[in-house]
Amino acid sequence: MSDKPLTGLRVIERASGVAAAQAGRLMCQMGAEVIMAEPTGGTPIREEPPLLPGGQSALFTYLSAGKCSVICDPSNPGFREDMEKLLAEADIFIDDTPVADRAGLGLDEARIAKAHPDLVHLSVLPYGAYGPKAGWKGEELNLIHAGGEGFLLPNGLSADLFPDRPPLKIAGHFAEMQGGTTAAMAALAALWAGKGQFVDASVQDANVAVGAFGIQRFGDGSVEHRLTRSFKFGGVIECADGYVELLTLESRQWEGLLDLLGADDWAQDPGLADEVGRSARGGEINERIRSWARHQKVEDLVSKAQTRGVPMARYNAPEHVLTGLQETARGIFATLETPDGPVKVQSLPFRFGPDALPVSETIASPGADQSILTGDNDRRASA
Amino acid sequence: MKPLAGLRIADFTVHAAGPFCTHMLSQMGAEVIKVETALRPDIFRKPHAVYGRQGPATFDQVSSNKLSVRLNLKHPDGVALAKKLVTIADVAAESFRAGVMARLGLGYEALHQAKPDIVMVSVSSSGQTGPESHFAGYAPLFGAWGGLGYLSGHADGPPVEMRHVMDHSVGMHAALATLAALHRRRRTGLGCHVDVAAREVASSLVGDALTAASASVTVGRMGNDDMTRAPHGLFPTADADRWLSIAVSGDEEWQKLAGIIGQPHLGHDPRYATQPCRHENRRDLDDPIAAWTGAQKGETTAELLQAAGIAAHLSWAASDIVSDPHMRARGSIIEVTETNGHLRAAVGRPARFAGDDAPGITRGTPALGGDEAYVYGELLGLSRARINALIDDKAIY
Repeated sequence: MSDKPLTGLRVIERASGVAAAQAGRLMCQMGAEVIMAEPTGGTPIREEPPLLPGGQSALFTYLSAGKCSVICDPSNPGFREDMEKLLAEADIFIDDTPVADRAGLGLDEARIAKAHPDLVHLSVLPYGAYGPKAGWKGEELNLIHAGGEGFLLPNGLSADLFPDRPPLKIAGHFAEMQGGTTAAMAALAALWAGKGQFVDASVQDANVAVGAFGIQRFGDGSVEHRLTRSFKFGGVIECADGYVELLTLESRQWEGLLDLLGADDWAQDPGLADEVGRSARGGEINERIRSWARHQKVEDLVSKAQTRGVPMARYNAPEHVLTGLQETARGIFATLETPDGPVKVQSLPFRFGPDALPVSETIASPGADQSILTGDNDRRASA
Repeated sequence: MKPLAGLRIADFTVHAAGPFCTHMLSQMGAEVIKVETALRPDIFRKPHAVYGRQGPATFDQVSSNKLSVRLNLKHPDGVALAKKLVTIADVAAESFRAGVMARLGLGYEALHQAKPDIVMVSVSSSGQTGPESHFAGYAPLFGAWGGLGYLSGHADGPPVEMRHVMDHSVGMHAALATLAALHRRRRTGLGCHVDVAAREVASSLVGDALTAASASVTVGRMGNDDMTRAPHGLFPTADADRWLSIAVSGDEEWQKLAGIIGQPHLGHDPRYATQPCRHENRRDLDDPIAAWTGAQKGETTAELLQAAGIAAHLSWAASDIVSDPHMRARGSIIEVTETNGHLRAAVGRPARFAGDDAPGITRGTPALGGDEAYVYGELLGLSRARINALIDDKAIY
């Protein structure tokens, strides 16, 4: 594909949090022109760690590569007028302004629907814009727990080692990223309908959605818990030089594992002929796998396992991902020049043909594209 | 009218990630025709062992709303019928291992030939290309490959396995990509082959850490800690295994929290007065906060902290979520009546649309092949005799 799928769309993004910025990132990397309307000094995401050696935020770099920036500060007298100008030419408006502050800024649902009937107005908030908790604050930690997955983590080896510790979050901004991806999807669905409308996305809802299996299990009569939501053998396995993940769900994979272990005795054991039988003896199986794996090198082991059709993967550290064989062959990382020197930024995790979409390379300083508001918009003309 | 009304999807996906993609699109109004076979039913349609317990089928959520037809893709007439189905679809979705659809005669080239503007969506563990595209994988492996599993966990512990949220996150990304491809088709008239790689979704969720690592900045496992915020963690309440998440983002919030826990002096203590100092000394604050939360009942405590402007929420189990008035009010948890009459809670549409507030799910799990008269008869125009002949020949099976 020579052109990006969302070429021609214009998006205005008012994002102080990761979820709204992630929605904008996805649209931007798919070809939309995304204009960040930032407060003076820039969105707080510009300060969020992890920081690159020169102090620039790696999070902001990742979320905002390719976006334009205009300063549009609510404390400036021209704020409303500037927002009007921006929204008048936009297809989608992404906003994470708290509900209580919207009317005062002229950014409430009713006013925008009236003034910009063709606009998809995408609200992205921790608990959504409607409902008893619409005004609640939610950081990543709260949201992974409000969505149900936090309660279920850790599991497997980590839960075995630390059964008394509190539940554990997933690394980084997992919950907020789900919120952003879901919001972007909902906005594209609304746009497909061919008319402007308000779309109310909630990070909590998105996480409950991706955690649907827990809701399903509840309907089937069981409430999942982190200490029991474990496969009874396999899982995180420590090797001589790192960790691997092992998961056999089908009999042919189990047979491959027996070959890998050289466990002829288990192959003959009728008690291990099915998954339920194997699970009942999961402790015994894991003890043998774990003591055997401690003397194995990760790379050799994974290679032997995959050759036998046994699902196994190395727990890749970031540097492994950055230099991985598969990742390199698929060209998923672009090198961007930043004030901190060259850094790598991952392209979208999906593509629309054989090649990864190129990562838009500009990292806009606050107000770098102010000309969009003044009308002298050279950049857009050349974009 | 739902936003995707009028779109039709030929759905060849199995297991978790692919079916979740089409399920999301279905909740927003797309007509999804699930292609199945009695030869090898979707593993989730039948009772199967989950975490060592033989459990019921866990198929209901993602197959709700969908229509079901049987089709034997190992039979030449089954393949021909699959292509015919694609000619009346906007999207063909699949989640077999890379290369399987082509071997069945249903690769992108074949589908493109059958329907020139088809959007084909392939969801796989490692993508359609590359030396590891044939690798078998499940959610925990996606997380392991992508760095997400390595970075999750206690600072003094091992990596953590990702579960079905990983699969479904892949499905959500696939749904987004599908819609983007459809927008492009609307603009250009061209279809395309969308290639969604689950391990790339996993790594994209820690994209900031990867960018940092590329500049030699080390990011490791850090439990429930945040890189700047403190206090930031899970605290016990008066009820067993009932945890309260608290994330303090600023000095004023901290002063309020210190007052609420009856330790106002800590709010102005120079060791904790500013965010960097508080973060440096964060472990000192765990006990005083836990001493207070440990005497509180959960939900009202979260409300109390929220009223003071502090981000707090209980660590919720599924039982909390399904009964939550907020989720119910939003339509994000709804009741669905299954074909057997059983009423169950289900996840509703992924966002609220001003243009349509109808429930995302209008019917439960379809019976295997339950919609063949409509799909093969009405949509594809096959006569009853022809359908019966295909059934007799096990092309429809």
